[in-house]
Amino acid sequence: MPIDKIRKIVLMAILFLFTLQFFGIKFLSGSLTGSLLLWDISLIDIFAYLESLFASKELTTKALYALIPIFLLYLIIGRAFCGWVCPMDVFFNLLSKKKFNDEKKIINNQRERLLKKIGYGIAIFLLIQSAVIEIPIFTNYMSHLTNFFRALTAGVFSLLSLPFEKSLLIYSLSAILFLLILELIYPRLWCKSLCPIGKTYGLFNKISLLRLSIVKDTCIQCGSCNESCYMDIDIASNTDKAFLRDSNCILCGRCVDACDKKAKTLSLKFRR
Amino acid sequence: MNRRTFIKYSFLALSTFYGINLLANEQGAELSPLPSIPVGGIIRPPGAITDKILRAKCISCGVCVNVCHLMKYDSIVIAGIDDFNQLGTPIIKDMRDYPCALCMECPRHCPTGALQQVEKENVKMGMALIDFSLCFGYNGDVCLSCSKACPLGASVFEFYNSNWGNQPYINEKCVGCGLCVKYCPLGGSAIKVVTIGQYRKIRQGYISGFKEILAMTEEQRYNLVYNNNLPQIMARGRLIEREYR
Repeated sequence: MPIDKIRKIVLMAILFLFTLQFFGIKFLSGSLTGSLLLWDISLIDIFAYLESLFASKELTTKALYALIPIFLLYLIIGRAFCGWVCPMDVFFNLLSKKKFNDEKKIINNQRERLLKKIGYGIAIFLLIQSAVIEIPIFTNYMSHLTNFFRALTAGVFSLLSLPFEKSLLIYSLSAILFLLILELIYPRLWCKSLCPIGKTYGLFNKISLLRLSIVKDTCIQCGSCNESCYMDIDIASNTDKAFLRDSNCILCGRCVDACDKKAKTLSLKFRR
Repeated sequence: MNRRTFIKYSFLALSTFYGINLLANEQGAELSPLPSIPVGGIIRPPGAITDKILRAKCISCGVCVNVCHLMKYDSIVIAGIDDFNQLGTPIIKDMRDYPCALCMECPRHCPTGALQQVEKENVKMGMALIDFSLCFGYNGDVCLSCSKACPLGASVFEFYNSNWGNQPYINEKCVGCGLCVKYCPLGGSAIKVVTIGQYRKIRQGYISGFKEILAMTEEQRYNLVYNNNLPQIMARGRLIEREYR
């Protein structure tokens, strides 16, 4: 079974578990920014925690407890959040005019590196900004996760004729729409550079157990991994290493699927 | 029809349905027959100590909203763009139909500590004020609905019995949950919950108004009840009846 299919099933399953909360099932409630598992285990997104910490300048033990399971999870699976959990992946995939097996794709390593640096700059700027104005600014106003779940909650509540704030629904929907338009104009710019949530999870890629492993002997230098890569990482020129440790790698497995057809060089593996 | 077009069309159909639904909601603009006590600000869920701390810590994750929904109270909603600084923070929007029941699950589950765990008695969401010209207890009736609905019961309510009814008075131990607002039998409710800041502003006038009513002579009171208050109460009743029809 191709990894891409498993990935989509996992993504949809997590979204489905979140929708159960609207129908009275106490399994997973809240949103991907902060949630409640089995009614007792609090979970919190790392960047949201950082922003909240910077804005309030006060260490909350409760938030730390919520952070620990997420921290441990991403120590194991790295930046898999972006590929396997984030709902924007589905929308962006539906929108992208370019198929990901794009034969003529040329990866400009210098440009990618610059985009990465800009991304870290934006993340740090947002943290400082939230410390200055004392509002977790990205998480409350711009984040695709909060906006998506706010729109979802308000939408379902409007259908169930429960109270909800209409102006918030419109705001959140337009924020999502803005991201979709951005994706049409600059494909994958949000994921590669602008989104600070992905950037924080990207740091875990350097030490995570799950990683993209490369067996050099079987590689036939066909370049199909580069063509299929969602995040435009130059995998083909890194084949002499045993593992790929790029902070932009979302561990989606598209390259593994592409490679399996020809050489079976790449695989996603848990390694110490 | 392949999968992609199916998804496209279902998305289109859903969004149209949704738009129609929104417009339909718009047409049923709610006439608000609430008493004329100004609220002056937004009412927060229990456990919000100050607006500043809540604003700094809240990450708009929606745990409180969904916990409230799962407890079947549905009183918390996320604030919209009316006040752009408060966008994304939890508020209690509609106390007439969805009051807070003080189950204290939202502060227990808030992941960031924006809502802090406090005892029920120490919650300070607002202050419930009775409109004396509308309350049945001040206009010749014995009603007690508000005190029966109150989760804190006897410590919050004081009663001043007289010929004009069993006059309830809510003292400053009130936490502002709004259950009395919901269970008031008067059309549109004779009680309104105001924010603490607003209460401080109107406190003097409110208390002096209450004392004035208690100090009235029988004749004055008769005039007030029969010429002023009862017609208002009846008008309210007719208004609500029309809504039900």
